[in-house]
Amino acid sequence: MTAQRTRSISTKLMMMNVLVSGAALILASIGFFIYDQITFRQGLVHTLSAQAQIIASNSVSALLFNDPQAAANTLSAFQNSPNISSAGIVTPSGITFAQYRKERGDEILSVPALPNDQIEGYRFGSTHVVFERKILSQGKLLGIVYIRADLREIDQRLWRYGLISLGVLLVSLLFAVAVSSRFRKSVAEPIVGLAETARVISRDKDYSVRVNASGEHDELSTLMNSFNEMLREIQNRDAELQKAHDELEQRVTERTRELVAANRELEAFSYSVSHDLRGPLDALNGYSYILLKNHSSKLDATGKESLQNIRAAARRMSDLIDDLLNLSRLSTSSMHREKVDLSVFARGIMEELCRNAPQRKVEFVAPPTAEGYGDARLLRIVLDNLLRNSWKYTAHHDEARIEFGQESSDGRVVYFVRDNGSGFDQRSANRLFQPFQRLHSTAEFPGNGIGLATVRRIIQRHGGEVWAEGEVEKGATFYFTLESLRDGSTQA
Amino acid sequence: MDSALLSHTKCRRSISSAALWFVVLLCFSAIASLAQQVHPTESQVKAAYLFNFGKFVQWPIDHGASGDSFELCVLGQDPFGPVLDATVAGESISARKIAVVRISKLSEAAPCNVLYISGSEGSRLGQILEAARHSGALTVSDIPHFVDHGGIIGFVKQQDRIRFEVNRGAAEDSHLTLSSELLKVAFRVVNKASAQE
Repeated sequence: MTAQRTRSISTKLMMMNVLVSGAALILASIGFFIYDQITFRQGLVHTLSAQAQIIASNSVSALLFNDPQAAANTLSAFQNSPNISSAGIVTPSGITFAQYRKERGDEILSVPALPNDQIEGYRFGSTHVVFERKILSQGKLLGIVYIRADLREIDQRLWRYGLISLGVLLVSLLFAVAVSSRFRKSVAEPIVGLAETARVISRDKDYSVRVNASGEHDELSTLMNSFNEMLREIQNRDAELQKAHDELEQRVTERTRELVAANRELEAFSYSVSHDLRGPLDALNGYSYILLKNHSSKLDATGKESLQNIRAAARRMSDLIDDLLNLSRLSTSSMHREKVDLSVFARGIMEELCRNAPQRKVEFVAPPTAEGYGDARLLRIVLDNLLRNSWKYTAHHDEARIEFGQESSDGRVVYFVRDNGSGFDQRSANRLFQPFQRLHSTAEFPGNGIGLATVRRIIQRHGGEVWAEGEVEKGATFYFTLESLRDGSTQA
Repeated sequence: MDSALLSHTKCRRSISSAALWFVVLLCFSAIASLAQQVHPTESQVKAAYLFNFGKFVQWPIDHGASGDSFELCVLGQDPFGPVLDATVAGESISARKIAVVRISKLSEAAPCNVLYISGSEGSRLGQILEAARHSGALTVSDIPHFVDHGGIIGFVKQQDRIRFEVNRGAAEDSHLTLSSELLKVAFRVVNKASAQE
C-alpha cells in the first residue's frame, strides 16, 4: 500500500519530467531540423550557384572555340564534390556539349530552357536538385550549364539528427529520472511519510507521534508543522480531558465512599435504634400481658380497656419498627432480576385480602398476564403495599373496585393500581411517598406512612418511576414503571 | 534536337496527305537548318574565332589610340568574303565597335588589333611578322606552321574541326597578354620567341 503510493507519486513526478523534457526536446528537434533543412537547401543552392558560375565563366572559351574536351576538363573538377552526381553543358540549341558523371549509371538530363529574364534557376526533386545557369559572353547566350546534386545528404542529415535527438532524449530521460528521484526525496517522501503517519495515528490513536519535518521552508514543511501542531493540540486536549475525567472519577469515588459510610452509619443507627427500641417495647408488652393475665381481677372495665390500648399501641410500635427495619434492609439487600408476571402476584395478594375479610364486597380486575423484569420478592412487596393501600382506602365504599393493569405510554410499559376509594388532593401528591407523611388520620385509616416510601425505594432501585393521581372521594391511581428488559443493566 | 523530335511527332499525327507532305517538307527544312547550324562552314568558324580571339587578349593601354574602334584587319587576299562582316556585325570588344579593314600594304597594318594574314602572303611572312611585332597586333593565319615561324595564333584543322595553335613567346614579344582561357582551348601552345630567320 505504502510502496504503491510511493511509486504512484514518484512515478507521476517522473512521468511529468519525462513528458515535459521529451516534448520540449522533440519540438526543439523538429524546429531545428526544419531550420536546418531550410538553411541546408539555401546553402546548397548558394554553393551550386557559385559552382555553376565558375563553370560558366571557365567554359566560355571552350564554347567559343568549340572545345568540348576543355569543357569536360572544367566539369571534371566536380570529382571533388561527392554530392554532384552529374553535370553538363548544353548549347542553346539543346546539344550536349560536355558532361560529367560521377558514376557510370548517373542520369544525364535534358535541361529545360530558362526563361529569358532569368540567368539561373533550380528545381528540387525528391532525390536530386538540378541547378542550371546560362553561360553568357557579352550578353550572348553560349550555352547552359546544369548541375545535378544528390540530396542523399539531406537523408543523412535526417538520420544524424534523429540519432542525435534520440541520444539527447535518452540522456534527458535519464536526467529526468535522476531529477525525479531527487524530487522524490524532497516532495514525494515527505508526503508519503505524512500519509503513513496519519494512517498510524488513526489506527493506533497514538497522538504522541510526530512527523519529521524537512529542513526546507516550503509548503510541505508548513503542512507538516501544522500537522504536528494539530497533533500537539489534540494531545493537550486529551490530557486535559483525561485529567478532568480522573478528577471526576476520584470525586465520585470519594463521594460514593462518603455516602456509603454515611448510609452505613445511618443504617447502623436506625438498626440500633429499632433494636434498642424493641427492648423497652418487649418489656412494655410483657409486663402489660402479665398485668392483664394475673391481675385483671383487680382492674375495673376502664382499667382493662386502658391496658388493652397500651398493648395495641405497643403492637403498632412493634410493627412500625419492623417496617423501618425492612425499609432499611431494602436499600442494602441484593437484587436478583428475572422475568416475572406481576398479574399473578396481584391476584394472589387480593385473594389473601379477601380471605382475611370475607365480609367485604370488592370487585377486582387484573389482566391475565402482566410481564415485568425485576426482583420478584421486591416487586411483590410493591404490589402488596399498593393493593393493601387501595383495600384500605376503599373500606368505607360499598361498591369498591380495585384494578391492576398495564398500559403503554411513550414506548414504555406503565403499570398501575387504581381504586375508587377516598382518593387524595392532587396538590399533596408529592408528599405521599415521603416516609411518615400521611394524608389521613390514623383514626380514619390505620397506617404508619412507611408503605409508599418503601414502594418508591424499590421502584427507584429498579430504575423506574412512581407517581400518583387522585381526587378526593373519587379514587386514586398509582403508576410505576420498571427499567425495561432491553436496557436493563446489572444494577446491584 | 528536341524541337525536331517535337515536329516529327506532329508529322505523324497529321491525316491529310497534302498537309502531311507540307509538314514533311517543313521537317526536312528544319533538319537542314539544324544541320547547317551544327556544321557551319570553315570560313564561318574562322571568322567567329577571329572575332572571339579579341575577347581573350589584352592589348597594351597605348595601343590603338588612333580610333575608338576595334580593328580587325585582313591582309592580302580575303578568304572570308561577306561572312566576316556578317559575323562581327553589331558586335563589340571592350565596348569598342569592331571594324573589318581589308588591307594590302603592310604600312596600313599599324592600328590593327587583330591582323589576319592571308595564305597569299606566305612569301613575305617574315617581313610581315616583324612589322606586326612592333605594332602590337595579334597575328592570326591559316599558313601551316605559322606559330613556328613566329606568328601568334595559327589555325589548324584536326579531324574536320578547326582548332588553333598559340605561340606565347611571340605574344609576349608583341606585349600582348593571352588569357589562360584561350591557352586552355588551344590545340598546341609553343613558347618560342620570334623567329630569327
